[in-house]
Amino acid sequence: MKAEAEEERSETARLSSFVGAIAVGDLVRSTLGPRGMDKILVAMGRNEGSIEVTNDGATILRNIGVDNPAAKILVDISKTQDDEVGDGTTSVVVLASELLREAEKLVSMRLHPQTIIAGYRRATDFARSALTDSALDNSSDPVKFREDLMKIAKTTLSSKILSQHKEFFANLCVDSVLRLKGSGNLDAIQIIKKQGGTLGDSFLDEGFILEKKIGVNQPKRIENAKILVANTPMDTDKIKVFGSKISVESTAKVAELELAEKEKMKGKVQKILKHEINVFINRQLIYNYPEQLFADAGVMAIEHADFDGIERLALVTGSEIASTFDNPELVKLGRCDLIEECIIGEDRMIRLSGVPLGEACTIVLRGATNQILDEAERSLHDALCVLTQTVKETRTVFGGGCSETLMARAVVDAASHVPGKEALAMESFARALLMIPTIIADNAGYDSAQLVSELRASHAEGKKTMGLNMEEGIVACMNEVGITESFQVKRQVLLSASEAAEMILRVDDIIKAAPRKRTADRGHC
Amino acid sequence: MASKPMPMKARGPSKSEFKDKEKPAQIRNSNIVAAKAVSDAIKTSLGPRGMDKMIQDGKGEVTITNDGATILKQMKVLHPAAKMLVELSQAQDAEAGDGTTSVVILAGAMLETSQKLLVKGFHPATISDSLLHFASKAVEVLESMAIPVDLSDRSSLLKSANTSLNSKVVHEHSGMLAPMAVDAVLKIVDPAQDSNVDLKDIRIIKKLGETVEDSQLVDGIVFTQKTQGYGGPNKMEKAKIGLIQFCISPPKTDMDNTVLIRDYAAMDRVLREERQYILNITKKIKAAGCSVLLIQKSILRDAVSDLALHLLAKQKIMVVNDIEREDIEFVCKTLGCRPVASLDHFTPECMGSADLAEEIHAGGSKFVKITGVQNPGRTVSILLRGSNKQVLEEADRSLHDALCVIRCLVKKRFLIPGGGAPEAELSVKLTQYAHTLTGMDAYCFRAFAEAVEVIPAILAENAGLSPISTVTELRNRHARGETHAGVNVRKGSISNIIDENVLQPLLVSTSAITLSAECVRSILKIDDIVNVIR
Repeated sequence: MKAEAEEERSETARLSSFVGAIAVGDLVRSTLGPRGMDKILVAMGRNEGSIEVTNDGATILRNIGVDNPAAKILVDISKTQDDEVGDGTTSVVVLASELLREAEKLVSMRLHPQTIIAGYRRATDFARSALTDSALDNSSDPVKFREDLMKIAKTTLSSKILSQHKEFFANLCVDSVLRLKGSGNLDAIQIIKKQGGTLGDSFLDEGFILEKKIGVNQPKRIENAKILVANTPMDTDKIKVFGSKISVESTAKVAELELAEKEKMKGKVQKILKHEINVFINRQLIYNYPEQLFADAGVMAIEHADFDGIERLALVTGSEIASTFDNPELVKLGRCDLIEECIIGEDRMIRLSGVPLGEACTIVLRGATNQILDEAERSLHDALCVLTQTVKETRTVFGGGCSETLMARAVVDAASHVPGKEALAMESFARALLMIPTIIADNAGYDSAQLVSELRASHAEGKKTMGLNMEEGIVACMNEVGITESFQVKRQVLLSASEAAEMILRVDDIIKAAPRKRTADRGHC
Repeated sequence: MASKPMPMKARGPSKSEFKDKEKPAQIRNSNIVAAKAVSDAIKTSLGPRGMDKMIQDGKGEVTITNDGATILKQMKVLHPAAKMLVELSQAQDAEAGDGTTSVVILAGAMLETSQKLLVKGFHPATISDSLLHFASKAVEVLESMAIPVDLSDRSSLLKSANTSLNSKVVHEHSGMLAPMAVDAVLKIVDPAQDSNVDLKDIRIIKKLGETVEDSQLVDGIVFTQKTQGYGGPNKMEKAKIGLIQFCISPPKTDMDNTVLIRDYAAMDRVLREERQYILNITKKIKAAGCSVLLIQKSILRDAVSDLALHLLAKQKIMVVNDIEREDIEFVCKTLGCRPVASLDHFTPECMGSADLAEEIHAGGSKFVKITGVQNPGRTVSILLRGSNKQVLEEADRSLHDALCVIRCLVKKRFLIPGGGAPEAELSVKLTQYAHTLTGMDAYCFRAFAEAVEVIPAILAENAGLSPISTVTELRNRHARGETHAGVNVRKGSISNIIDENVLQPLLVSTSAITLSAECVRSILKIDDIVNVIR
């Protein structure tokens, strides 16, 4: 091999991947569950000193730079979980690392990794079928389904900063997701963060809020607005050829040309006004002169709506973004019932209500510090993701360690019928599953050994809805407490965790390629 | 080689297990210590007898202030938890504008209590839950002792503005600044929609020179620029004011242009035409009847050329240059004029009129004042004067606080007594309430009820009284039902604080309690600090 390339073989390689993966699992395990703790992330490097407080596994893992290849795999599955379903980012990492911890024991008992993998695969199958059997589906009954959604939202939020206001935010999330009518387009839900006030002061606005100002002297309130959304320069239409230049022989000619430029602008404004609009929203700046022309025509002109804003605006008002104005009849105009100014916190904003896309809404978050606001936004995003997932895949399962215990029992039962070493691996799999309720209880400061054994016992008696109630620290029926999770999230956690564990187990050799030589820069300077 | 890592592996997990139990407690402790250090640092600036801090920044600029939010902003703390307290005070600044010191002190006291509870073995989540419960109960108690106030009740508004100003460097001028703040806010309150005020409609102009006493509330507008042009008028009665957004200078196209001159005659012609061009513009302006011309700043070319200034001065038109684009809206609102972006639109209807526009000499500088505006908008300007920069800056901050206090009263029309009375009442009432609870919650509740007494204690300490005897006497009075007993700093005793005219808006106290509780809860929930690369 080339100099500087490194290779780690069999035992050493396996060991280093185990250690790396377990370390990552240990890092995030304390954030699991309703009483999980937060972490401060302190940025190094470019924006040194800026801080972030978070409970979200994916956010933590995304930001720590890991070197260990196995740890990197775990970071990746948490990222995938975040993209796929939005929640369960911590659980998936913790489960994978527990699976590896168990595998480590088995390896030291001289079990071949392939045997462990085979056992894990069988166990996954059994666990999945047990999970599918236990899933409930209430989608036929809208009232019950809404209740389900509320429960899921509350369960997701209970582990986050919003836990104390979870009733309120759960309502907020469910309302906004149900407005989407199954389209699952989270773009239509806008989240605005404003410092000041408390989290309880946050609210849902049935409309769209734009953080911009209305031009001088223009109407501040318009009913039955006809909106043209555009992306066009409103300074002067100049020839965009590099180095275009005018040569004249007298100042009067320059003045004439100036006037001509102005006329051109006026022409453009006239063309825009031909659309019979009363609101004009542009992504680029609107200069003084066109602004005044709009004001004279009684049209509200809003300049410099940023890119994100303008696309969303086009979506919610049902218009298209225009950049040429020659054919008024072809341009689709946006509409809304009312546009007016409103004050949120210390800032004036523009509120569009009664937009045709009934799906659109804005959630305004208030909070004491920026960290709280950022974390609240992340939590809300998680909850919204899970809810949209649930609207698509309506099955639900019980949370609070209930499904894990259920799966663990199914796996243990199945293992007792399996002859051979695979059975050992299956039992280990069950133990790893049971670690989830154990960690939840540990984080809440309760006696985990006692609680988990109680939980297992009650499942053995056939009470399949029992789980951990972390408010009171007892084993209780999850149906009564209302801790429900999305089936989709749980299944994804199970499958990706076992897949990741399998992948890491298979490794018996780590090769680090030689780093590219850095040669001294001999360029001119 | 293979055998060597094996024992390490066996020890690995046990070591990490050990660390797991120990590390969160350490982190929490270090967070609390850092946050407490911040609150200790600004403790001495609370209350009417609180001291000021002198802050020297990296460039050697000096700030003298008593305002918690400003001190913390300048301190540049490094510890992440301490940073959260700094943001907390800024949130209070945004929400209520006043009480930025007390909110940090409250948070510090709550953290100290939490630390004691943690040592006793309480789980942070338990403490956090009961803190939330505590905050909501505290708000109830505060609301029960609130006195409703009407916006027409000027004396009450004055009293609360006075209370806010009393603790500042400029407190000797509170008699003059307080009515100014009250008048300013009352002037911009829109009767149709009076649940909130936009403080951006109040413009504070700072001008070095004279003393704070010479500050004035201007019913109109003040420009810090001086008038342009030599020989033009400096004073204009019955002024017609035009605001233009175009330039009065030789024409310039958006494309590059060159004027080609081939012979001497052409050169002459160019000069003449330029003069003619500008003369034409000024004539049109004069023809529209304009006597005071405000010109928006332009970055592309000279907003107004020397030649234009000369011609305008000749026509007896007063010129104020360099109006920022952001200010245009405010100017329009105040003067009732409309900005004009092209010469063709310059008509008499666009102009506002005022009784008097004059340039005033003050010390070494000049400024322009326009008063007696006909059909004025809901805006107001305050001209602040001060003998040095520090005093001026501090006066600005104090006035802002006072304005915020009045705004709080517009938002939520309730007053409560100041001087530590609400905190003492909270402590007594909530201790009583704690007796009705059971379990961990009851214990935490009582501890937090004691923690809020930190405010009267520090008030007394800063005034040179004995904190222990003051707080105990205060507690005694409140237990006997004297809801309004507070620390009377001037007389150095406990008395009914309402008689002393020390009043503050309810919103300041409630938001201090809820914001600090929220912040403390998020600090308690942290169990690890991770360095990340971004």
